[in-house]
Amino acid sequence: MKIRTFLRFALGISVVVAGLLAASCGGGSKAPAVLHIYTWSDYVKPELITRFETENNCKVVIDTFDSNEAMYAKLKAGASGYDVITPTSYMVSLMQSQGMLLPLNHDLLPNISHVDPEYLAIALDKTMAYSVPYMLTNTGIAYLKSKVANFEPTWAMFDRSDLKGRMVMLNDMRETIGAALKFLGYSLNSTNPDELSKAKDVVLRWKANLAKFENEQYKTGIASGEFLLVHGYSGDILQVQAENADIAFAMPREGGVISCDDLVIAKSSKEAKLAHAYINFMQDPNVAAENSEFIQYLCPNRDAYPLLNESIRGNAGIFLAPEIKAKCEILADLGEKNALYVKVWDEIKAGK
Amino acid sequence: MKRSRFPYIVTGAVLVFFYLPILILVVDSFNASRFGGAWRGFSFKWYVRLFHEPAIWTAARNTLFIALFVTFVSLILGTTSALALHRFAKTRLQRFHYTLIYTPLVVPEILMGISLLMAFVAAGVRLGMLTIVLAHVTFCISYVALVVLGRLQDFDFTIIEAARDLGASSWMATRRVLIPMLAPGLAAAGLIAFTLSVDDFVITFFVAGPGATTLPIRVYSMIKHGATPLINALSTLLLALTFTTVFVSQRLSKSVALEGGQ
Repeated sequence: MKIRTFLRFALGISVVVAGLLAASCGGGSKAPAVLHIYTWSDYVKPELITRFETENNCKVVIDTFDSNEAMYAKLKAGASGYDVITPTSYMVSLMQSQGMLLPLNHDLLPNISHVDPEYLAIALDKTMAYSVPYMLTNTGIAYLKSKVANFEPTWAMFDRSDLKGRMVMLNDMRETIGAALKFLGYSLNSTNPDELSKAKDVVLRWKANLAKFENEQYKTGIASGEFLLVHGYSGDILQVQAENADIAFAMPREGGVISCDDLVIAKSSKEAKLAHAYINFMQDPNVAAENSEFIQYLCPNRDAYPLLNESIRGNAGIFLAPEIKAKCEILADLGEKNALYVKVWDEIKAGK
Repeated sequence: MKRSRFPYIVTGAVLVFFYLPILILVVDSFNASRFGGAWRGFSFKWYVRLFHEPAIWTAARNTLFIALFVTFVSLILGTTSALALHRFAKTRLQRFHYTLIYTPLVVPEILMGISLLMAFVAAGVRLGMLTIVLAHVTFCISYVALVVLGRLQDFDFTIIEAARDLGASSWMATRRVLIPMLAPGLAAAGLIAFTLSVDDFVITFFVAGPGATTLPIRVYSMIKHGATPLINALSTLLLALTFTTVFVSQRLSKSVALEGGQ
C-alpha cells in the first residue's frame, strides 16, 4: 500500500517539476539583457558582478568549466550562448585561428590603456586584437623557510641531494621540461631537438631527487611539511601560505612560465556590446585591484598595482622584479611540434 | 572443521577500500584547514560558507530538478519498452529494439556526449536544462528497461489473465495487478535513473547550455580554483541525504513485505 502512496507522491512531484521546467524554458519576456560568462569557478569577486549588473541594468549568468580542452571541444562542436569566456592564452590562439572569437572593438574598451605594457611585451596577443589579459599566475618554487637551508631562487635547487625525496615537480610536460629549458638558458617554447634533448637529461637528473611528479597534492604536502620544496603555481601557493606562514614562494632567476587567462568574446555572442562593457569594467583599476585581492591572482593592470595590498605587492614571487619578468615566457601552443614534447616527456617518465 | 578466515579478511579489506575514502572526506569536511594534509581543529566553517555560496545551490537545484524529471520520464518510457521487449521477445523488430536499448550501456560516455551535442546543434535546439533532460533520459531508459525486464522474467502472466477472467478491464488489470507486482523493480529502476542523472558529468558537460550548470560540473570546476573543503562539506550533506533515503526506503519495503506476509 505504502509503495503506491509513494509512487503517487512521486508522480505529483514530477508533474510539478515538469511544469516548472517548462516555465523556466519558455520564460523570458522583455526582461533586462543577460550576459553569459563561461569561466573557471570562483574566478571573480561576486560583489563586482552585482555592481556590474546594477550599473548596466543587466543580469549576469556564470557557468563554469574545468579545463581549456573540454571547453574548446564543447564550443568547437557548436555549443553557443556564451558571451565572455576566459581561456588560457595558448587556447586563445587556437580559438582565434579557428575563427571562434570576435575581434575586439577598442573604442568600447577605454580601460585597456591601463593594461601593463611590460606584460603585453611577452603576451601572445600583444595588440589585444582578440583578447584582454585577465589574471596571471607564475610557476615557480615554494619551500619551507625553516627546513630548507641556503635557499637560492634558481631551478638548480632540484639538484640539491640533501632534499632528496622531499621535492615535487609538476606532472605537466610543458611546465617541467620548460623549467629545464629555462635552467639551460633556452626558450621554454623551444622546438629545437638538441635543446630538448639536453633538457631531458636535466629533468632526468632532477627526477632522481624528486618524490614524484604531481599537480594537486603538492599543496597539501607542503602545507603539512611532507614536502620541503615544490614546483607550483603562485595562485595555489598563495592559498597555502594563508595557512602555513613558513612557506615562501620564489621565482627562479633564470625565469619561468607566466600563464595568463584572457577575456575574449565568442563569435556567436548576441550581447557583444555588453560583453565589451564587461571586459572594460574588469580593467578599471579599482575593480582590477579589488578582484585581484579577492581571488589572489594578479590582474596585469598597471594602474591597479599601487592599489593592491602589501601581501600581494610585497610578494616577490607574485609581483615579479622587472629583470625576472623579462626572462619569463608565456606557454605558446606549438601545434604539431607538441609531439616533440610528448616524446621527451614519455622518455622522462620511463627513465630511471 | 575450522572455518577459513580468508572470506572475513577479503570482506574486511573490501569494506575498508570502499568506505575509508568516504570516511576521510567526512572527517575532512570538519577540518579547519583548507588543505586536508594536517588537522587544524574542528570547525563548521565550510558548512557556514557553503550556505553563502549561491552558485552551488543553484547548481544543486538544477541537478535535483533534472534528476526528478528524468526519473519520471525514463520510468514511463523504460517500463513500456520492457513490456514490449518481454511480450514480443521473439519478433525481429523487438530483437532490434533490444539492441537499441542495450547500446547506450556500452557506448563510451564521451562519444555519446559529443554526438548528442552535435545532434542538438544540428537540430537548432537551444542548449539548456531541456537538452540535459533529453540526454539523461536517453541513457536512463536503458537501465530502467533492463531492470524492469529482469523483473518481468519471473512474472507470472497467468495472474493478469485471472484478473481479466474476473472482469477487470485491461487498464484495471495493469493498474491493480501489474504495477503493484512490478513496484519493487520500478522503485529500483527509478533509484538507478535518479542516481545516474545526479551523478553524470561527461555527457552533461557537453549538452549543458548557458545557465544550466549542474552540481557535478560545478564541483569539477571547483577543483581548480575553488575551495575543496566546500566540496567535502557538500558531499557529506549529500551522503547524509542518501543514507536517510536508503534507510527510509528499506523501512518502507520491510513494512510492505510484512503486509504481504499477513
